[in-house]
Amino acid sequence: MLEAAPEMDWLDWILLVARVVVVFFAVLISVMLLIWMERKVAADMQTRMGPMRAGPRGVLITLADGIKLFFKEGITPTLADRPVYLLAPVIAMIPAFLAFAVIPFGTGVTLFGRHVPFQIADLNVGILWVLAMGSLMVYGIVLAGWSSGSNYPLLGSIRSTAQMISYEVGMGLALVAVLMYSGSLQMSQIVASQDRVWNAIPQFPAFAIYLIAGLAETNRPPFDLPEAETELVAGYFTEYSGIKFAMFYLGEYVNLVVVSSIAVTLFLGGWRGPHPSFVAWLWPLLWFIAKVVAVVYLYIWVRLTLPRIRYDRLMSFGWKFLIPIGLLWVLATGAVVVLPDVYGKGALLTGALIVVGAILVASLLWPLIAPRRQSAGETPQ
Amino acid sequence: MLSEYLPIAVLATLAVLFGVASLGVSALLRPNRPTRAKLAPYECGIEPARLPAGERFPVKFYVVAMLFIIFDIETIFLFPWAVGFRQLGLFGLAEMAVFIALVFVAYVYVWKSGGLDWREPAPRRAAAAPPTALEPEAREVVRAG
Repeated sequence: MLEAAPEMDWLDWILLVARVVVVFFAVLISVMLLIWMERKVAADMQTRMGPMRAGPRGVLITLADGIKLFFKEGITPTLADRPVYLLAPVIAMIPAFLAFAVIPFGTGVTLFGRHVPFQIADLNVGILWVLAMGSLMVYGIVLAGWSSGSNYPLLGSIRSTAQMISYEVGMGLALVAVLMYSGSLQMSQIVASQDRVWNAIPQFPAFAIYLIAGLAETNRPPFDLPEAETELVAGYFTEYSGIKFAMFYLGEYVNLVVVSSIAVTLFLGGWRGPHPSFVAWLWPLLWFIAKVVAVVYLYIWVRLTLPRIRYDRLMSFGWKFLIPIGLLWVLATGAVVVLPDVYGKGALLTGALIVVGAILVASLLWPLIAPRRQSAGETPQ
Repeated sequence: MLSEYLPIAVLATLAVLFGVASLGVSALLRPNRPTRAKLAPYECGIEPARLPAGERFPVKFYVVAMLFIIFDIETIFLFPWAVGFRQLGLFGLAEMAVFIALVFVAYVYVWKSGGLDWREPAPRRAAAAPPTALEPEAREVVRAG
């Protein structure tokens, strides 16, 4: 089924495989540095030192942890469903790597007279691919929780499923808005469409929805209910130890890299940035890395600032806030793009004024409606 | 067309190899000294009981799954329109506004009938259906929320 394009010779093959291998290990190394960065930033915000021993300023701490976990005894609980229990960590890890395949992290470089793009595959369905891989990520968690044969993982995995699918809808709507604004599903086209202004500015609501849904999708605090240690021990990976636990950990952080990279690609101009003309291939790569680090820093900051949200609030925030806002934003984006073509720019301004006026009137009338709701009785706490 | 997916196939192979190889090599190198207590499912030192047969959960989780399907299909339906809506122009926009409005009616209905509330039903409804003889049975349903 996967026939190679006819003009590929052995050099193309070598470059292709080398590209994939380099990206794969670059992601692994970035996860290593990311975990170190998170621990260092956390330590800094809590006025501690953080890891200091392994390597200069503790930069090799993740490697040390990984090696330790690699040689640890792996326990398979008696009630576990063995094949599924062993496969679940691998299943949890793979989609995270595959999602990274469509992200352009630079312009590319010319090697041996061939153009090597800094992107594994520029699919024409880029955004759909990202959504699909995001959905597959749920399987690892569900299977892990179910196959462990223990109560806490099962509860954690069911929670996690409900949470991830709820926020996936919001994320999908944010992506639809971006797609409408830039007019393409292809990642390279979306980056190209941001040559004048980053999508984060005209598409700010979509950006905010995406960042929040991304927190929930990666199960990161304050949305880390699936592994809420005060209630569920460690959630879906309670029964996992040794290398299998390390794989869940790896998958989770690869996922964080992917979510941040997608945020950068879709909203923050991707690898675009002003740069000098010498070593032209290097600067876009550096811009991309700098932007990803900035988004990751934001996620770490959020984690260290906000307390964990209660489960019912998590669900009602997703369903009652993100989804309606996302739907309205999709419609608004459609109107802003289409109406000027039909009626000219003046009509758009009039329309915008009418909408703003309607919102103002509604907010003025709100106090008249709100007390009635209260007397009807929300659940008294 | 499909050759676009070739690098992804290579990446998938690599990821699977990496996962399986680390599991396999680690299994060869690590110690393996199981004891009965070590292999017991995690619990605070007691013989754990599995969740009841059939694994029943609060119906809320099923409701969320069904709502997800509805809204996800809606999102999927938005994608083809979003690709071509510049060509479809005002007609396409009006069509989509009608579609979203219809889904929105359903959404408001679900919200009003409590489908989006994770907490117990409001006291008004709890009063309408007071605890009955069924209560002891109902208690056996394990709360997962």
